[in-house]
Amino acid sequence: MIVESKLAPIRKGLLEFLVLRIVGTRSVYVPDILRRLAGTEFATQEGTLYPLLSKLRREDLVQYDWQESDAGPPRKYYRLTDAGRAQLAALDDYWNRINRTIADLGH
Amino acid sequence: MQRISVTVRLNRSTLQFDDAAYARLETYLAESASLLEGDPDPQEILSDLEQAVADQCTRRLRPGQTVVTLAELVPALEEIGSVQTPTASAAPEQTMRPTSRPLQQVSEGAVISGVCQGLARYFGLNVTALRIFAVLLLLLTGGGVILVYLALMLLFPFAPLEPNGQPLRWLPARSRAFAEFLARKFSLVS
Repeated sequence: MIVESKLAPIRKGLLEFLVLRIVGTRSVYVPDILRRLAGTEFATQEGTLYPLLSKLRREDLVQYDWQESDAGPPRKYYRLTDAGRAQLAALDDYWNRINRTIADLGH
Repeated sequence: MQRISVTVRLNRSTLQFDDAAYARLETYLAESASLLEGDPDPQEILSDLEQAVADQCTRRLRPGQTVVTLAELVPALEEIGSVQTPTASAAPEQTMRPTSRPLQQVSEGAVISGVCQGLARYFGLNVTALRIFAVLLLLLTGGGVILVYLALMLLFPFAPLEPNGQPLRWLPARSRAFAEFLARKFSLVS
């Protein structure tokens, strides 16, 4: 049985990668991201996502545009910057290498 | 007499809260603010959270219901969750920054040009104490410290203005323009 306390930091560390992936597919607003992650191991909450997106924006990996919505106030739609796209590609690459390493080591 | 509800502006939405819900909301936002201490951009995150609360509560109001109660707010806050700050990949760099940050003038909230604020920030001093000390020096040196201040004003580059930050008073704005003019003229600062 795997101890949950060992898995939590892995998920936490990977969340940024997953968010970049989701934002990379198309421009999304936060409830879209929550929906994509809901039901996965990475299900998360706005209280976690907003600080993370703020950090990614500060690092110039994502940016947002305001878009009018049919109901309620305008929404922030996030998308990747060029730097974000480059970092996502690097993370993808790294992730594949890690997976290969793990597979090669066998068990 | 009884107060029925409080009107609350949450980022871009306005909602009515009853007293109990309002108190709970205040606590949540205060907790979030304290969890975001140390985040370079807490205001943006707090605005986003306020909007999330407004959206979640609006979604939960029954048709015809206008006042948010704990019945809507508690599940809304549960869904939003408490603030989790990301594991900052840039953390080492950010903790380094205060020491490697250059001597600068800080225009926001400056009295003259922001030299005292820059020095206070650089050395981690209380800016009010430093200003009082500067005034004392002014009296003790018979004004000689003015020359020192002018020199520092020309030598220190300006800290970048905060997003939508404005030099707060008339004098800092003018002295900034003046210092930049002199610096350009004599190409003292790049």
